[in-house]
Amino acid sequence: MIHDEVLVFSKTWGALYLFVVFFAAVIWIYWPSKRKGYDDAAKWPLREDDKPCK
Amino acid sequence: MTKITENITALICSLLVLITGAIVVLYTSETGFLLHGWLMIFFSAWAVLTVVRRMNRPLEPKSLEYNDEVIKWGVLGCLFWGIIGFTVGDVLAWQLAYPDLNGDLPWTNFGRIRPIHTTAVIFGFAGNALMSTSFYVVQRTSRARLAGGYLGWLVFGGYNLFVLLAVTGYPLGITQGREYAEPEWYADILLLIVWLGYFWIYMRTLARRTEPHIYVANWYYLAFIVVIAMLHIVNNLVVPFGLEYTKSYSLFSGVQDAMTQWWYGHNAAGFFLTAGFLGMVYYFLPKAANRPIYSYRMSIVGFWGITFLYLWVGSHHLHYTALPDWVQILGMTMSVILIVPSWASVFNAILTLNGAWDKVRTDPAIRFMMVAVLFYGLTTFEGSFMAIKPVNSLSHYTDWTIGHVHAGALGWVAFITFGSMYKMVPWIWKRDGVYSIRLEAWHFWLALTGTFIYVGAMWNSGITQSLMWQTYDGEGNFLYSFMDSVDAMHGYYIARAIGGLLYLIGALIGAYNIYMTVQGPRKAPQQSNNLPVAAGE
Ligand code: HEM
Ligand code: HEM
Repeated sequence: MIHDEVLVFSKTWGALYLFVVFFAAVIWIYWPSKRKGYDDAAKWPLREDDKPCK
Repeated sequence: MTKITENITALICSLLVLITGAIVVLYTSETGFLLHGWLMIFFSAWAVLTVVRRMNRPLEPKSLEYNDEVIKWGVLGCLFWGIIGFTVGDVLAWQLAYPDLNGDLPWTNFGRIRPIHTTAVIFGFAGNALMSTSFYVVQRTSRARLAGGYLGWLVFGGYNLFVLLAVTGYPLGITQGREYAEPEWYADILLLIVWLGYFWIYMRTLARRTEPHIYVANWYYLAFIVVIAMLHIVNNLVVPFGLEYTKSYSLFSGVQDAMTQWWYGHNAAGFFLTAGFLGMVYYFLPKAANRPIYSYRMSIVGFWGITFLYLWVGSHHLHYTALPDWVQILGMTMSVILIVPSWASVFNAILTLNGAWDKVRTDPAIRFMMVAVLFYGLTTFEGSFMAIKPVNSLSHYTDWTIGHVHAGALGWVAFITFGSMYKMVPWIWKRDGVYSIRLEAWHFWLALTGTFIYVGAMWNSGITQSLMWQTYDGEGNFLYSFMDSVDAMHGYYIARAIGGLLYLIGALIGAYNIYMTVQGPRKAPQQSNNLPVAAGE
């Protein structure tokens, strides 16, 4: 029965936990003041390579 | 790590495999295990010799360049296993059309060579592609040289030894009988150790990054590495019959065993065949199109969406079984929701290309990537649909599933790999570009035609099968016997085999093109090479 208990626990409380964490992550990511950091990060792959970085 | 400890670690690891191989050879009475023992000895003896030869060389100064040497071998491994895997796949396809082609020998029988196909394409082809591109991406986006010097080689070598042990074992009957986790316990232990090494290298390189933020492609690669480790451990909890035997028994039994297997199985699709390749998309597509990702923040939300949702959906492989109903319904619901983050990635990638359509027209590599993303959208839509219980009662056990798999495998996984390889190969070998754009375009069109034929044939045959199996007469008797449905498949199977052949020819042209690119002249040297900020350890 151990397996069933683990299953039920993870599929109920686990679901709740993951949804809460997910929404927290979304709020975190879309927090207005963070915008600039992400916009900069988006450009990284375009700028590096083949240029010296020191 | 200093050079000395690095050498010694490498030596110890290789010697351990060597000793294991020797013990196997001495004690086993199974032919297959004996062969595997010798393979281990051969591989590790070669590694030991290489390390010893290197130890005698004077110490080189710390390198300031990116470490691309292992990546080159990864490209080779990817092409090698890809061609083997596609060839075996096409042999299987012809066997299904003409069963006599099974050679009437135990070793060449469909059931034994089918896992050779799946292992060679998933672990060999896709795995080497993921490993090599991830090493490329993590270095460039962290601006740090790959951590761990020799370890990269051990990871690469050990991983390919694992694939070799797997595919050579199947014809001899060595298998756990768990789909996509067929290799037996000793090969699993090898993979576990290799994987921990891979994880360590990745984390160490990230830790030495010179940027504050970790670029999103790395998140996807890391999710792939971490989740595969977790899946691999849990699904391979077995008790060997004895250390001198290959056979082992699962710790789980009955429906729990089935659930564990498909929790593994679907996450293998989600993290091996999806997450890592999305990492590839998020680096190589913006880079090739020279445009930043349309919405960087959406790519992160998509990441969390996918990682959270995939872990729930495995039960859609077990609809209408002894699995409790609520677990089935939960899996179905989560699968339907999964379409949202999946399509978020699709739109994000296509909108990134918006404004670079001229490149899509002129650059086959970008075309490969664009088509890959479209097939990703198609496959995930189809998957969410097939996960709905009544739909699954039609699609399950039919070729529709095979069509879904190969829309994902041929159209998504392999297309994004080819697109990225055509970009990465000239970059790491420092060539001006690919040897021939025309051959690249040929590869593209052959692969696309092959995929359409393959997937189209399987959709038709799948629907035909399910309709024939569910047609009843007035009294409720089956109208068709099973053999009738087998006969009806013949034409579709021939079509599929031809589609597969086109795909294989395309891949051979691609391999030739890449070979010629590597053979070609180097790019004119630049003033300053691309140097990472954080040099080797
Ligand atoms: C030339 C290209 C290919 C051909 C001709 C081909 C052919 C086949 C055939 C005939 C089967 C057995 C179907 C059955 O049992 O009814 C199969 C299964 C499978 N193939 Fe392929 N294949 C090709 C490429 C690939 C690639 C590139 C991948 C993955 C990256 C892949 C992944 C799979 C998987 C996962 C299965 C098992 C499907 C299941 O159990 O539902 N194949 N393939
Ligand atoms: C939203 C995403 C997806 C969902 C909801 C989904 C759902 C499904 C469903 C319902 C099945 C049939 C299960 C059965 O009847 O036995 C299936 C099979 C399969 N899918 Fe997907 N799929 C998705 C994406 C993908 C992708 C991107 C790939 C990558 C290539 C993939 C690979 C596979 C494989 C290999 C199988 C066959 C497993 C087997 O029976 O051997 N799926 N999927």
